Amino acid sequence: MRKSGVALALASTVGLGACVQTRQYADVQFTPPQGEYKLLVLRPDVTVGSLTTGGMIEPRAEWTDEARANIVAALKAQQASRGGNVTIIEHRNALPGVPEQELADVERLNFVVDESIVEHKYLGDYLPTKRGRGLDWTLGADAVKLGRQSGYDYALFLHAEDQVASKGRIALGLVGLAGCFIGFCAPNIGGAEQLDYASLVDLKTGEVVWFNVVDAASQVPGIKFGDLRTPEGAAQMVERLLGRMKPGQDVRSEKARR
Amino acid sequence: MCVRCLDLTRRSLLIGGGAAAAALHTGVASARIRPADTVPLIGPGFKPTDEDEKGLWHDMDRVEEEIADTNLLVTDPNITGYLRELIGTVGGPAAKDFRIYLMRIPDFNAMMFPTGFAVVFSGLLLRMRNEAQLAGVIAHECGHFLRRHEIRSWRDQRRKTDLFSIGAMLAGIGGAGAGVYLGNYVQLAQLGTLLSLFKYSREMEAEADAMSAKLIAQAGYDPMEISTVWLQLIGEEQASAAYRGKHRQHGSLFDTHPSDDARMADLRADALELKVPGKVYNDYRERYLAAIGPIRPMLLDDQVKLNDPGASEYLLQTLAQDGWNGLLRFYEGEVWRLRNRPAFHDEERAAQSYAAAVVYPDAPADAWRWHGIFLLKEGRTAEAKAALAKYLAMKPGAPDAPWVRQVIG
Repeated sequence: MRKSGVALALASTVGLGACVQTRQYADVQFTPPQGEYKLLVLRPDVTVGSLTTGGMIEPRAEWTDEARANIVAALKAQQASRGGNVTIIEHRNALPGVPEQELADVERLNFVVDESIVEHKYLGDYLPTKRGRGLDWTLGADAVKLGRQSGYDYALFLHAEDQVASKGRIALGLVGLAGCFIGFCAPNIGGAEQLDYASLVDLKTGEVVWFNVVDAASQVPGIKFGDLRTPEGAAQMVERLLGRMKPGQDVRSEKARR
Repeated sequence: MCVRCLDLTRRSLLIGGGAAAAALHTGVASARIRPADTVPLIGPGFKPTDEDEKGLWHDMDRVEEEIADTNLLVTDPNITGYLRELIGTVGGPAAKDFRIYLMRIPDFNAMMFPTGFAVVFSGLLLRMRNEAQLAGVIAHECGHFLRRHEIRSWRDQRRKTDLFSIGAMLAGIGGAGAGVYLGNYVQLAQLGTLLSLFKYSREMEAEADAMSAKLIAQAGYDPMEISTVWLQLIGEEQASAAYRGKHRQHGSLFDTHPSDDARMADLRADALELKVPGKVYNDYRERYLAAIGPIRPMLLDDQVKLNDPGASEYLLQTLAQDGWNGLLRFYEGEVWRLRNRPAFHDEERAAQSYAAAVVYPDAPADAWRWHGIFLLKEGRTAEAKAALAKYLAMKPGAPDAPWVRQVIG
């Protein structure tokens, strides 16, 4: 599936350590949304699966639904505390004043722009023309039109995937650990991994103003860094992903000068 | 353990590898699955109850939403309605549950998703010569759903990767305990696991083929037509490869589908087995042509612009086996004109095709246009003007109308 492309690419770069990592980029002029702002969240893309003994990911419907509900609740609570008014759209035809097809176009455009951001900011394919310019991508006129039609200030695109190691996978890890005593040590066969990313688009300018990736991977099955199926785990994820939005480079140096 | 262990290991590895290779070699061509053995595993209104299958379906909802409003979708209600009716005829017990989407992609393909929605590429409609052939391909996709192939192959994959991981871990630990290195065996096992997954996939395809023959024969279509589909595809691949100076690819261990040749042979046998003496089987060619008629120029146009003259010419010749017409002759001219190789006299060939096209009453306006232009080049001005006038009359709003008017004078 096309959707998993970005996630796979991200997982291959940031997924090597057994820890929680985040790496965010922002437009040089970016100031985190404050005061009263209207935020549109387009179809949060959430999947939770079971990690099989052999290391495959088996999607689970109930876990996914639980995780999505938890994330939506956590997101609303977090944004409300900052003064944001959040609307979460589950279907493309659910936004009054915007035709389904146009919303689909913006969503697909955002997806390829996200792919490009991942390619050139995270995968090492750095562009000399964008050096020192923070996050320099835009969705252009279509996003501005969406903002005008719907009256929202920002659009947030969110992807989250999480796994739970199956009993078989945990047992296999334990066997690998037991092997350490006779000289074949393999406890780190790879455990569950949570990968989340989000991009924030300013609907007044059409620019992608902020992008962040959270990777919480474990090499040892059974050890987990947050579980999206629980409200606490989802709140933790939302906090890791969106909690500390750093202002852009220019804004920060401006502050430092003053 | 012993000093000769290493020696033995290497030798036995070779023997083992040889035996595995031999076993797998015969594994490429598996035995034919009889249509009578392909019984639907689900009834109408099927909904999954197992956790893994529910997860698979849940993921697919979003995929279907994405496909249902991609801008590649052909939305003409006549043709989509026709496809819906067709899948409703050959879909077996789940006939009423299927959804079918037509995408504008000039390629031979169709696919079924785990939740029972099918995607058909426009290139398939170009290649099918009658309704029986199209019904055969659609029934094949239905076969995947009715035999629950998606979840079965997922479970097969899960089981085999589980076994491999456990085996690899035990080999590592066992080897460490015994003081020998079993890494080579583990690699061989990995290859074996991989190949067995591909083989399983080929078996499912063979099953869907057998089922498709059964489903369309029940609906009164000639089951022999499905093997003709593969005959046509083999011919097209050969023509395309020959033109590019390459060899057509044959089946390998890493194929997910059986080779076209094997499928054709098996489907012929299926058809002979299924046909009941005395029963009338139809191909419904007229009905098919009437249904795709309005989009056929688009289908031909997309194909010709692929810049694959070998395949395009073969396709036109195949379609023309049911009789030439103005549309086919026009696109034959387009193939030669766009290839434009002086050594092959492509310009003369194109001119001849356009001249032949305009003889038919269904010649498109552009056939008259190019016929006129080639006549102009030959210096046959009076005839050229007549042809261009005909073009203008058929397409008064053409983008080049002012130029044509000036030429006609």
